[in-house]
Amino acid sequence: MAKRTRSPVEDQPPTPRRRLGVILVDPLHVVRAGLALLIDDRPDMEILAEAGTAEEGLEAIRRIRRARVVVLVGLGLSGDHDAYWLIRTIRELFPSMAILGCGANADANAISRALFVGADGYVDKNVDPVEFLQALRRVDAGEMVLVGPPSEWVGAIANGIDRSREADVVLTSREREVLIVAAEGLTAREIANRLGVRERTVTTHLARIYGKLGVRSRVAAIRAAARSGFVTVAPHE
Amino acid sequence: MTPIAQIGGGLDQRPIRVLIVEDHPALRGVVRSACESDPALAVVGEAITGHAALDMCETTDPDVVVLDLGLPGMGGTEVARRLRQAGSRAKILIIAGPTEDDRVFECMRIGVDGYLGKSAGTEQITGAIATITRGGRVFTPEQEARARDQLGAMARRAREASRVAALITTREREILELISFGLTMKQVATRLGISPRTVETHIAKLYRKLGVGSRVQAIARAASLGLIDLEEPER
Repeated sequence: MAKRTRSPVEDQPPTPRRRLGVILVDPLHVVRAGLALLIDDRPDMEILAEAGTAEEGLEAIRRIRRARVVVLVGLGLSGDHDAYWLIRTIRELFPSMAILGCGANADANAISRALFVGADGYVDKNVDPVEFLQALRRVDAGEMVLVGPPSEWVGAIANGIDRSREADVVLTSREREVLIVAAEGLTAREIANRLGVRERTVTTHLARIYGKLGVRSRVAAIRAAARSGFVTVAPHE
Repeated sequence: MTPIAQIGGGLDQRPIRVLIVEDHPALRGVVRSACESDPALAVVGEAITGHAALDMCETTDPDVVVLDLGLPGMGGTEVARRLRQAGSRAKILIIAGPTEDDRVFECMRIGVDGYLGKSAGTEQITGAIATITRGGRVFTPEQEARARDQLGAMARRAREASRVAALITTREREILELISFGLTMKQVATRLGISPRTVETHIAKLYRKLGVGSRVQAIARAASLGLIDLEEPER
């Protein structure tokens, strides 16, 4: 048998470039439905998942195992966790995913915040569909995308990023640990037992957390930390 | 009403009042003759330094300032920044040399209205002045694309700075600042009233957190993250 058998790989037609996978996270059902129709209609893109809240969005993203993914995050997400929390979390957990913020006439501040917490760009829902799809392709190609806002906003957005940074509140991972356990309603002693530290250490951590978040109570601290993307989680030393 | 206005766009139209700020005589001449070629424009003054430009802006209240970036002493960006800080209503058209192209983003942040290269011809200059007077912006698509990229890079840097800032203790930051002033380890120890050995430990931790291996790298990295400020304020 002199003839070499062809491997199964060679039998297949040349693989077309893999389609761009899009995950839609937007609070408005109609927006998701419209975008899904628009995107699924293209030969080079497909919808991988849809979600209406930040938590559901993150759940969906965790299940995705593939390359070339763009997450479209509606900046209007609100609730226990908002859009900025979601963007920041995706950026930390899945650094290779492209994230495109999306809104209807979002102001420069909202765009600054989205970029600061980790979005690779922003596209407005008011642009025409061709431009919208092009924004998805461009962000996938690694471009910084700003489609919709007038070009002179670049300066204002940059200045907003500086302000975001000043306003950014950064908790160490130990502080976050304490806060997460505190959110269960445990006393300082119980928290200390759980984490294997002294009660005094826990109260010191809590005081520092209150100071960083500018709050006076535990409930306010938990709410402030959970609500927004303005709480960074820093790896523990 | 001035004669220029009458030549301009009819009796009811004021000319666009232009202040030229350019230290190079030949280039100043180019801008002036461009303005003189357009009856809708009137040159209200010429300045060759930043300080003179700021004074003349106050006295002449121009509609448009044509501003050279490479002025001696106080540079064009600083002039533009001060005009914006002072709330000047004047539109600003930057004229930049070929090597100053990377300042577009900075100029956009300051709030200038347009950015031309020094090779710009008469019609480009008058056209740009007309556009910005109407409230438009004069940047090329390439300049805008580059500015967007710089914006993205800036956002990443700001995020990284926040992350690193969370790791660095107050004492470490103090030490970082002192070594950026050029103090030796021993001098830092004396200044802070701690042992050189302790300073050494702090510095080792700092290097690790910044992901660097030397003092120079540490300072460069801290400066690029905005943790310390190396730039001297401009006069």
